[in-house]
Amino acid sequence: MSFPHSQSPSIAARSIGARVPRGDDPRLLTGRGQYLADIVLPGELHACFVRSSAAHARITRVSIDEARALDGVVAVWTGEDAAKFCEGIVGELEVEGCFATTMPLLARDIVRYVGEPVAVVVAESRYVAEDGCDLVDVDYEPLEPVLHPRSALEGGPSANEELPDNVALRGGKVLGDVEGAFNNAARVIEATFHSGRLSAGPMETRGVIASYDWTSRRLRLWTGSQMPHYIKYCLTAYLGFPENECEVLTPDTGGGFGQKAHIFPEEMLLPLLARELDRPVKWVEDRRENLMTATHAHEQFIDIAYAFDSDARATGVRIRATGDGGAYHQPPWSMGVEPWCTAMVTPTGVYDIPAADLIYEAAATNKTPIGAYRGVGYMAGTLVRECLMDDAARAFELSPFDIRRRSVVREFPWTNPQGIVYDEGSWLQTIDELERMVDYTAFRERQAALRAEGRFIGLGLSVFVESSGESTAMGKAHDLGGIYHDTATVKMEPNGSVTVTIGLTTQGQGHRTTMAQVVADSLGVPLEAITVRAAESTTYGWGSGTVGSRGAVIAGGAVLRASNVIRTKLVALAASMLEADPADIDLVDGAAVVLGVPGSSVSIIDLATAVYFDQSAWPADFDPTLEATLAYDPARPIFSNGGHAMIVEVAPDTGFVTVEKVFSVEDCGTVINPDIVEGQIRGGVVQGIGAALLERLVYDDSGQLVTTTLLDYHMPSMDFSPPFEIHHLETPSSHTPGGIKGMGESGLIAAPAAVLNAVNDALSHTGTVLHNIPITPEQVLRALRG
Amino acid sequence: MTQPSEHVSVQVEVNGRRYQRSVMARLTLSDFLRDELGLTGTKVGCEHGVCGACTVLIDNEPARSCLMLTVQANGKQIRTVESLASGREMSPLQACFQKHHALQCGFCTAGFLMSATALLEEGQPTREDIVETLSGHYCRCTGYSPIIDAVEEAAAKESS
Repeated sequence: MSFPHSQSPSIAARSIGARVPRGDDPRLLTGRGQYLADIVLPGELHACFVRSSAAHARITRVSIDEARALDGVVAVWTGEDAAKFCEGIVGELEVEGCFATTMPLLARDIVRYVGEPVAVVVAESRYVAEDGCDLVDVDYEPLEPVLHPRSALEGGPSANEELPDNVALRGGKVLGDVEGAFNNAARVIEATFHSGRLSAGPMETRGVIASYDWTSRRLRLWTGSQMPHYIKYCLTAYLGFPENECEVLTPDTGGGFGQKAHIFPEEMLLPLLARELDRPVKWVEDRRENLMTATHAHEQFIDIAYAFDSDARATGVRIRATGDGGAYHQPPWSMGVEPWCTAMVTPTGVYDIPAADLIYEAAATNKTPIGAYRGVGYMAGTLVRECLMDDAARAFELSPFDIRRRSVVREFPWTNPQGIVYDEGSWLQTIDELERMVDYTAFRERQAALRAEGRFIGLGLSVFVESSGESTAMGKAHDLGGIYHDTATVKMEPNGSVTVTIGLTTQGQGHRTTMAQVVADSLGVPLEAITVRAAESTTYGWGSGTVGSRGAVIAGGAVLRASNVIRTKLVALAASMLEADPADIDLVDGAAVVLGVPGSSVSIIDLATAVYFDQSAWPADFDPTLEATLAYDPARPIFSNGGHAMIVEVAPDTGFVTVEKVFSVEDCGTVINPDIVEGQIRGGVVQGIGAALLERLVYDDSGQLVTTTLLDYHMPSMDFSPPFEIHHLETPSSHTPGGIKGMGESGLIAAPAAVLNAVNDALSHTGTVLHNIPITPEQVLRALRG
Repeated sequence: MTQPSEHVSVQVEVNGRRYQRSVMARLTLSDFLRDELGLTGTKVGCEHGVCGACTVLIDNEPARSCLMLTVQANGKQIRTVESLASGREMSPLQACFQKHHALQCGFCTAGFLMSATALLEEGQPTREDIVETLSGHYCRCTGYSPIIDAVEEAAAKESS
C-alpha cells in the first residue's frame, strides 16, 4: 500500500553537503546548555531510591518509619504504595516465541536484580533524601540467583516466576538447503563467541522532573528521553494522566546511545509522587545507579558456523544467538531484540549466502534488564560474521579482502534468504576502497619486519550493512510489528525567518544544524534565518523516537515535506509577482529567481511580507497559511553500508592492545554535513574499541554487580583514541529526501570486529584465535605464551 | 567536631566575584557552584572523580569539584566555564572546539575546556602533553581526536 506521507519531494543540494558549524555550539561551549539537573522548579522536592542489594531474594520486611521521621523527608513509598496506581510496565517483543514480563515500579515481595528499586524517599533536598534512604531497612531472604543464560534455558530455578523455564524468547527459521551446504562444504569455519555486557554510558545520567497542577490536571514531565512521545503515551495508558494535559519536555541531553530510549519505572513514579504530594519532584540518577540499573546491553553467547565451498565462497550459515536478558523486558525494546536481530538479520551481512539456519533465544537472568545501545543486535552479529571471515581467510590462505570479495553481493537489487530486499549499496567498493586505504602489501611487509624485531602488529577488517531510518517498511521487511511516523512543522513569518519543529529529540547529533541545512535548500533562505526545535515538548509534533539511525532520514523527510508546502506557496506568489511560469521559479540565495531571466527576482523576505500584509500581490485562490505540519515514513527500508580496517599493536610484555590507526569507509547516501557524519563515525568507533578492549560489566557468583564506578567500568579515554582516515562513498537512496541514509550506529556496529580481527592477525603466528570481547591483556598474554 | 549538616561560613572568589556564604559542611563544591551560585555550566557526571566533567580551576589548577567540599575552597579563587568567554566573544579555545566539531552532546565539554585552559596557560603543549592531560576526562560522543585537534590549534594560536 502506498501513502502520501511516504513520498518525499526532490531537493537541490546547496547547503546540503557543506561542513556547516553547529549553531548549538556557542551555547553549549559557554555553559549555557540547560540539561535536566540544571532545571530548578519552585518548591521542588528531591527523590532518591533504595535499591536491592540482592540479586534474587524475597523481601521479608521493609522498615521505613525512621526514614519517614527524619526532618525534611516528605514521603517514603514502597512497592505497595506504587502498586495502588500501577501494577507495572509490560514488556515484550512482537515476534514469534516471545513471552511478556511485567516490571513493577517498585519491587514487591521479590527482588530480581541488584539495583532494582525497592523504595523511594522524597525530601526537601537531595542530601536529606539520601540520608533518608540510609534509614530504610530492608530484610531479604535469599533465593537462588540465575546468572548463566544457557544453563538457565536448560532448566533449574527461575529468575522471574513469570517465565518459569527462563525462556523470554525462543524461535528461528531454516532458509534454503542448509544441510546440503554443510554436507558439501570444502571447509566449515565455526566458533562460539561471547560478547560482553556493556553500558551505553552517556555522560549525563538519567533524570526526571515531574510537576502536576490539580486545578487543570496538567502534568509536565522533563526527561532527557530519546522517545518522549512514547513516554507520554505510557503516562496516559498506564497511569491515566489526561492525554491533552500531559506534556513531556526534553531539555538538552548529554548523550543517549539507546539507553534513554526506554520507559523506566522512575519516569512513571515521579509523576505519581508529584500528583500525590502536590509539589514538583526531581530525581537525578547518580553514576552508580546508571551502571546498575539504566539497562545493560549487547551481552550474548553465539555459536556460529559458515560452510565454504572449494572456491572459498560462503554457501551456508548456522547461528544460535543467546541473549543474557536480565530479569525483565525493558519496554519497548525488550531483551529479545538483541539476539533476535543478531540471528535473523546479520549472519548474511553483505554476502550472498543462500542457506541459513537461524536460532534466537533470550534467557531471563537475575541481572539488570538488557536494553538498547547503539547497534542493537548488529554489533554482536557483525562481530561473529566478520571474525569468522578473517578466520576463513587464514584457513584458505587468502587476504581478508579477497575472502570477502569471493562472497560479496555485486548486483542490486538483492534479496537475501530472509527475504529482505536491498535496493542499492557499495558493498564491493567498500572492500576495494579499504584495501587501497591500508596499502595491504606494504602493511604485510611492515608487519613481517616488526615481527622480526619482536613487535606484533595486526590488521583487522570488518564490513557491514546497516538498517537505517527505522520505519514501518523496515519493520515489515523484517517480519516485525511497529508502525512509525514522525511529523515536522515548518513556519515562515513576515520577515522571511523560519521556525522548524521536529518530532525527534536530539542528544548531541546536531539535528538542529542538519535540519536547518535541509530547509535552507528547500526555501532558499540563509541558515541564520532558520531555527530548529528538536522535540523540546510533546506539545509539538509526533515522533517515534531518535533510534535506529533514523534522525536524518526521518526528520529530514518530514521537514522537507512540510517545507515543500511553504515552497510551493512562495513559488506561486513569486510567479504572480514576476509574471512568470511557476515551473521557471527557483528559490536560491534568499530570493525567488526566474530561471533564464537574469535580474528578474524578488527576495524571500518580500514574498513573506506580501503573504502577511499585501493581498494585492496574491494570485487567485491564494491561501496565505505559511505553516505546515506533515508526516514522513519512508516507502521502503533503507540500508547504509561501510567498513573499518584497523591496525593494532599488542605489547608482548603487558598484553595491552593499542589501536594505531582506523580506516573507515561510510556510505550513507547523500551526506548532509560531513563534520557531523564523521563525528558519528569517530564516536561510534571509539565506543567499539571500548567494547572490544576495555568495557565489561561484571557480576560475581552471587549476582552482585562489581563494576559500579567508572574506575571499574573502563570506558576509552583520550589515550585510547586512534587517528582516523575516513572516506565517504555516496550511493543515494532513490526514495528518501535527497538520497539521505542513516548512519548513527555504524561505528559501534562494525568496530569491535575490526579490533578483534586485528588482534588475531597480530597473534597469527601463535596459532591462537580469540573469540570473546573484551579482549583482556590476560587473553593476549596467554596466546603469546602458548 | 563540625557535623556534616552544620553550617560553616566560607569566602570564595568565583569568576572574579567575591562570595561570602554560610554552607552545609558537607556541601560539595560542585553543588555549591551549581545550586547556590547558579553556575550550572559545571556538570556532574559521576560524583566520584573519574569522568572529569565537573573540573574547575582553583587557584589556576584543575580540580574535581565533585570531590571537594565547599569549605575546602575557602579563601581560594575559582574559575568555571562561565568565565572563559570575554564579553560576547568565545575564547580562542572555545572557538576551536566549534571549528573542529570537538563536542556533540556538550555535557563533558566544560571539564575539557577548563583542563585545557590550565594547560594552555602553562605554556606551549605538544600533542602528547594534550593527550596526557586530557586523558583524565571522559567524552562518550566525539572519539576524542577532534578535541586534540582543537586544543592543538588553540595552542598554536596562542603562540603566534
